[in-house]
Amino acid sequence: MASSLATRIAEEHAAASAAGLPEEVVSRERRRNAIETLESEGLPTSRDENWKYANLRPLEKVRFAPPSTTASIRAAGAVAGAATAPKLTAADLPETVAGYARYTFVDGLFAPALSSPAKRIGVSVTPLRAAAGPVTRTEGSNPAPATNVPLRPVAVGEVVAAKDARFALLNDAFAIDGVSINVSAGTDCATCIELVFVASVESQNGSSYPRVELYVEKDARLGLIERHVSAPGSGPQFVNAAVQVDLARGATVNHYRVEQSGAKAVWFDTLSAVLGQDATYKLHGVSVGGQSSRSTVHVQLAGERASAAISVASLGDRQQIQDAFVLIEHAAPNTKSEQTFRGISAGRARVAFNGKVVVRKNAQGTDSQQSLRGLLAGPEAEIDVRPQLEIYTDDVRCAHGATAGKLDDNMLFYLLSRGLDRATAQRLLKWAFLEDVVAQIEVPELRRQIERALAGQLPDADALKELL
Amino acid sequence: MLKIENLHVSVEGKQILNGLDLEVRPGEVHAIMGPNGSGKSTLAYALAGRPGYAITAGKVTFEERDLLALAPEERAHEGLFLGFQYPVEIPGVNNVYLLKAALNAARKHRGLPEVDAFEFLTLVREKMKVMHMEESFLSRGVNEGFSGGEKKRNEILQMLMLEPRLAILDETDSGLDIDALKVVANGVNTLRSPERSIVLVTHYQRLLDYIVPDFVHVLVRGKIARSGDKTLAQELERRGYDWIIEEAA
Repeated sequence: MASSLATRIAEEHAAASAAGLPEEVVSRERRRNAIETLESEGLPTSRDENWKYANLRPLEKVRFAPPSTTASIRAAGAVAGAATAPKLTAADLPETVAGYARYTFVDGLFAPALSSPAKRIGVSVTPLRAAAGPVTRTEGSNPAPATNVPLRPVAVGEVVAAKDARFALLNDAFAIDGVSINVSAGTDCATCIELVFVASVESQNGSSYPRVELYVEKDARLGLIERHVSAPGSGPQFVNAAVQVDLARGATVNHYRVEQSGAKAVWFDTLSAVLGQDATYKLHGVSVGGQSSRSTVHVQLAGERASAAISVASLGDRQQIQDAFVLIEHAAPNTKSEQTFRGISAGRARVAFNGKVVVRKNAQGTDSQQSLRGLLAGPEAEIDVRPQLEIYTDDVRCAHGATAGKLDDNMLFYLLSRGLDRATAQRLLKWAFLEDVVAQIEVPELRRQIERALAGQLPDADALKELL
Repeated sequence: MLKIENLHVSVEGKQILNGLDLEVRPGEVHAIMGPNGSGKSTLAYALAGRPGYAITAGKVTFEERDLLALAPEERAHEGLFLGFQYPVEIPGVNNVYLLKAALNAARKHRGLPEVDAFEFLTLVREKMKVMHMEESFLSRGVNEGFSGGEKKRNEILQMLMLEPRLAILDETDSGLDIDALKVVANGVNTLRSPERSIVLVTHYQRLLDYIVPDFVHVLVRGKIARSGDKTLAQELERRGYDWIIEEAA
């Protein structure tokens, strides 16, 4: 369906393309294909099965083209002199985490002045935009790949069921920069890289397209933090991230993703990961920000004994919308997956989680677990927790639990009977509810930051902070 | 300390307590015994203010105040403590958080500043020693994965920390082996004092060998059918409840 929205996107793309979109970030052909697909298929609508909870209405008012590059470069502090955009400083960014080399991107564009790159043996971090050049090169025998070399025949969006990957296509069409991370075989970098994506442009002026391509070679190990924030005091924004994760045989990745966009941001995200034999991927997602946030995640267990653990905590308050769709595809024998979701909806918020597991015909010996729980913390709040299973083989073990409900009356009475006032008792129980996800964050410093972010999002959190 | 007059309580529309009278003076230990379904736990929950326990008639005065007009947390602030028959598991809330939050809530009510972190830990350690509990208890979720005995010991630990004026212990002896029973009873006994009262709700006489009551009451069909001293409990152990039930009828 070629909607007026898709037509407008195509027009904006034609104009941006004429002004110059960097080919080294996404090839001209790929951009064209993306736009053609979007023109013929349109963006998802609330009528699409996996999109009924996403907030798609604000798209009508968005200017999809990236902001004029110079303004963003100024905001990024990369260019000295008079700035039309406010200049960001390190104080505007989240606290750093010891041991993680920070790479900051403003409106998708690498911002060297806000970054503190550090050499990590065997790890190369390369902005996709040619002008910036490589930031850190691999030491020794393993040279960094040239920017945007296709890492494997897998790309953002390709493995996600085409219908659900259309926002990745939008990123393909408009991305002006991004980052490629390559971890060479056998490298052990458990405390390694932090990516900070700051949105500064407001949606009437343009959109942000964070883009990550991650390739972890055989038996390598990586710890990655990925954050999404907004510049202080920013108004309406449109952010559309695309992340591609590729794990070779025996590779291990701990991937922490924190979405803390500004209160008026509309945030979309498509992450696709492919896991080779014996690879282990742990994804810890925390989503508290934005006016609305939608994350689409597809993890494909492509090699035998590959294992993925996806845990997500979402908090919605006021009129926020927090929506996540996670698809795990078991495509090889003896693969293992775990999905954990804890969501709290307060105020008039809507929090949704759609967790789907597909077990392909050849994926005998699959072990899959889902624990999805939603908590309703207000009479006008809404929560939707939906487990889905599609199994095409017999030899599987699938344990699935999904609940949505209010605070447990027995627990509440127990705490009241110990003298805790009602508000504190309720906060403590909400906190405890998220603990299953928070406890899995293995970086103590990051965990404390996330705890603070979650506590800040729980209404009247002061008393709770004292307990941390 | 506590005066219960003509208390009627219904749960889910069913009348459980039918005009119960009881007076507990400072320093006294009362045991409430009775067959299953006689209303023992209902009495404990009604006094603690559990939602769903509707007071249909009667009056309860606690330290000169109308207890039934207070919210559960206010009853706790006034010095009432309920030891649960089935302590609730709260995964994700550390034991130590709960102890500290509960203690500070009580202190706040009395106009005292929050407890100093060092003092608090010293106090917890001292009480844990009484209850034969290991330090690792503190960092575990409240009652999470605790054995029956551990849960009951944890209840008494909380009681020792909060030093209530009136402790109502609901079947604190159920599910305990003899060693655990002794530890729990010892914990309760350390709290006995002329200013403090204890109501023990129990089905068996065994607990009363270790916590010797001043009075024993037998509850039958929501009323106290008979009261006596500790020898009544011994008689019940010998003869069972049937004779009292018949008498009450």
